[in-house]
Amino acid sequence: MDKPLYVGIDLGTTNSAAAVFDGEQVSVIRNAQGATVTPSVVRLDKQGRITVGTRARRFVEQDPANTAAEFKRLMGTEKAIEFPAAGITRKPEELSAEVLKALRQDIHDQLGVPIERAVISVPALFELPQSAATSEAARLAGFQRVELLQEPIASALAAGWRADDDGAGTWLVFDLGGGTFDASLLETRDGLLRVVGHDGDNFLGGRDFDWAITEHLASRLSVVPRRNNPDHQAALRALRLAAEDAKIELSRGEKAQVALAQPLSIDGQDVDVDLELTRGTVEQLCAPLVDRALDVCVRLLSAHGLAPGRVGKVVLVGGPTVMPMVRSRVAARLETQIAEGHDPMTLVAQGAALYAATAGLDGRAAQVAVPAGRQVWLQYPAVSADLTPHVVGKFVGDNPPAKIKLVRGDGAWSSPEATVGPDGTFLTSVTLLPRRACTFAIEARGAGGEVVNVTPPAITIVQGLTIGDPPLSRTLGVALANGHVQVYLERGAPLPARRTFTHHTVETVAKGSSESILRIPIVQGEMTQADLCRLVGTLDIGGDSIKDTVPTGSAVEVTIELDRGGRLAARALIPAIGQVFEHVAHLLVPDAAPEALDAALRDLRRQLMELRADAFRHGLGHVIEKLDRLEARMSEAERDIDAAHGGDADAAQRARRALLDIDGTMADADLAKKWPELDNEARRVAISASSTVGLHGTDAERSLLQEVLAAMDKARKEKDAAELERQMRLASRLSGAAFNRTPEAWELYFEDAASEISRCTDLPKANRLVTEGKAALDRGDTTELRRVVKALWALLPEDSEARRKAYDSGVR
Amino acid sequence: MHELKLEDNPFFVLGIAADASRIEIEREAQKLLGMLELGFVDAQTYPTPLGPRPRTAELVRAAVAALRDPYRRLVAELWARHAPPAKPAEPPPPASTAGTPGLRDKLGWGR
Ligand SMILES: Nc1ncnc2c1ncn2[C@@H]1O[C@H](COP(=O)(O)OP(=O)(O)OP(=O)(O)O)[C@@H](O)[C@H]1O
Ligand SMILES: [Mg+2]
Repeated sequence: MDKPLYVGIDLGTTNSAAAVFDGEQVSVIRNAQGATVTPSVVRLDKQGRITVGTRARRFVEQDPANTAAEFKRLMGTEKAIEFPAAGITRKPEELSAEVLKALRQDIHDQLGVPIERAVISVPALFELPQSAATSEAARLAGFQRVELLQEPIASALAAGWRADDDGAGTWLVFDLGGGTFDASLLETRDGLLRVVGHDGDNFLGGRDFDWAITEHLASRLSVVPRRNNPDHQAALRALRLAAEDAKIELSRGEKAQVALAQPLSIDGQDVDVDLELTRGTVEQLCAPLVDRALDVCVRLLSAHGLAPGRVGKVVLVGGPTVMPMVRSRVAARLETQIAEGHDPMTLVAQGAALYAATAGLDGRAAQVAVPAGRQVWLQYPAVSADLTPHVVGKFVGDNPPAKIKLVRGDGAWSSPEATVGPDGTFLTSVTLLPRRACTFAIEARGAGGEVVNVTPPAITIVQGLTIGDPPLSRTLGVALANGHVQVYLERGAPLPARRTFTHHTVETVAKGSSESILRIPIVQGEMTQADLCRLVGTLDIGGDSIKDTVPTGSAVEVTIELDRGGRLAARALIPAIGQVFEHVAHLLVPDAAPEALDAALRDLRRQLMELRADAFRHGLGHVIEKLDRLEARMSEAERDIDAAHGGDADAAQRARRALLDIDGTMADADLAKKWPELDNEARRVAISASSTVGLHGTDAERSLLQEVLAAMDKARKEKDAAELERQMRLASRLSGAAFNRTPEAWELYFEDAASEISRCTDLPKANRLVTEGKAALDRGDTTELRRVVKALWALLPEDSEARRKAYDSGVR
Repeated sequence: MHELKLEDNPFFVLGIAADASRIEIEREAQKLLGMLELGFVDAQTYPTPLGPRPRTAELVRAAVAALRDPYRRLVAELWARHAPPAKPAEPPPPASTAGTPGLRDKLGWGR
């Protein structure tokens, strides 16, 4: 049997790379120029001919208008990229598709096999629309199937795979790329890799180094070009490219000459550029940026109770980490060793290839096997950390063979003979060789002992480091009309995942009316309040698409599904009319007009001032610190907005996302401001939960509550509002579960709901329910009482302000 | 937070003892996923103190994920080791059916 080909692709902002894994060896693919990395640059000439990679990169300077770079940052937006010479526009995913096509061709050339399936890495902080655009790019490039994998997981997998000592322990992946920084904390034990946590900065990378150097060089020119002046863009671009080249040169040498063949034209003047740059100067200019990345690392470590020095190893990934200064600064600040022997430019692609094996995603086109014997369906791990994994199988058709045995390729081991059940099923296990790919021949015998040929005749299992299902990075849920969030999938839930909940409509949706819409907003975030979470999609059910009018209080069964790469699908079933709706409006990352950004920044600045005044009044030192950091980030955003006014679409997107992040942090700060209130509330919850669980809880609930109370204590000490909220929710649930077990619970709920019926949307129905409830109470029928109480709750209206903040949710 | 439901306890879902090693957990889960995929009848339910429950691939994967996390494993172990309550617990009303905030607050339900 020939070897499998598992393909991994790192589709980077600046550079892309591909690697294949054959079960034993990982090799990096070389492109036509013999290089292991391909610049993510696409050029379209006058005739509409496409050039990709190194050859296109040469035109970034000569013909910038028709040469696109860094389009990964625009993925998921509607921004069209123009190629004036050819008079064509292309979407970001179409340009990414060109890069993928080129890599796919390089793989084909090197291996001689067409590739249809692959794993493509994406940044850990990619939003849902960006992941969707990446999948679309792969489809356009001719891939039949792809899985997406987070870049830090890919790096970790590749680094861990190589580790000779099993890599046991805790380690950190430090990935500083062209435009993003990712820090991930991982742990390996027993051959299993686990992501402990990650953090990062979407707006920090080599390009920031380039701008810092560019601004320094610009300041030394006789006429200084400015980023906010549209007329200076060409000069700055040329200078930036020279700065980048010099920076890369200085990773090896001590001095570089920044000289341009043509003088720059600035404000009508010819300005010659011939400047000397030393490694020391570049290090000085870039050190603050590296420190920013290190701050993120320290924050990540402390979030998991680790001090610097407690990390076993640091794996460096990304172009800028080639700089000696980055290596030494990281080692010094994190007080640890740098893992040697990894190529920072291709590690991500290598990890993606290894993951393709774990996912059983062979890159070759599906072979049309001519069944040469009895067909058997097999289930086994393609990669296994376990040395003795199970193999489960089922023969197709009637009269299956009686016995089955697996024989290892080296002939040194074979499984005991397993009995095949009358339904064709069997269960056995195999013994692997450490760190090797083992092939097992499948030998089957009939009842009379005769040999039965089977298809497939053999299977291959690789022994090595494995990673479980990728975890969901941010909690996903549905915003409810009362302003809260119904959590569907918690952060950390293994993907793929699916969850269904039943909601009820809060108003009537009239058949045929296009104005009447039932909106189900899907949000992501860790907060219980909908307006503090981000809207990632909506499921809109219009009156014109329903078969019949849906009255208030109708049940809606909503199912949310995410695949391994984080792609979202949602479905709503309305049983009353027997209709299913599944069209989710995938929100685009919105357009960022510079004027809108200006306004948003003004708004945030005003809020910041209010928060600061407030924090001073209450003497909240930690909040003030947080706000100072925000202030600095706002100044950065302001620079980007300036560049956006100069026509830089990427800077505009950068600013938009920075402002969103700032907004999110501000919400946190706002929460911190409400700290005394929250703290009080926590104390109250703790007391009440202790007494309820103490009286009515089971032993298990009591010990669990102890844990929760300890976690609440910790969160209170650390003033971690979000964590405290989460633990409070847990405590409340425990106490609710305990309380609901008592007969009085539903009696109390009923009396309370009954006292509010004047507010109910359907008074006659509410009155009827109250009568029914009273009867149930007299009979002592708790089941019926529960039904009545829930029906009454459904009739109480939601506050319209809360609903507006919950993205106009039409369900509760 | 599904570990709060006794019958969804990862150890029950995977049908293993509360002291199973990490490798045992992965091995058992991989086997069950394979069996479910191929429609093995014995894999389709699992016994719990509250009677047999349907086993799905999602439940199995969620169980493994829960047991990989040291804190969540601790909680699951605690539950699996404790004697189960004599009678079925009432599930709390879903958070979505808010409507009597005053009372729920009094009872320590928070928001
Ligand atoms: N030898 C080097 N020394 C210093 N910097 C380098 C070197 N080689 C490349 N770079 C810089 O690395 C950056 C690109 O890094 P890399 O290729 O890792 O990014 P990417 O993976 O494309 O980006 P991202 O991960 O953000 O999508 C560029 O800013 C480039 O200037
Ligand atoms: Mg990268």
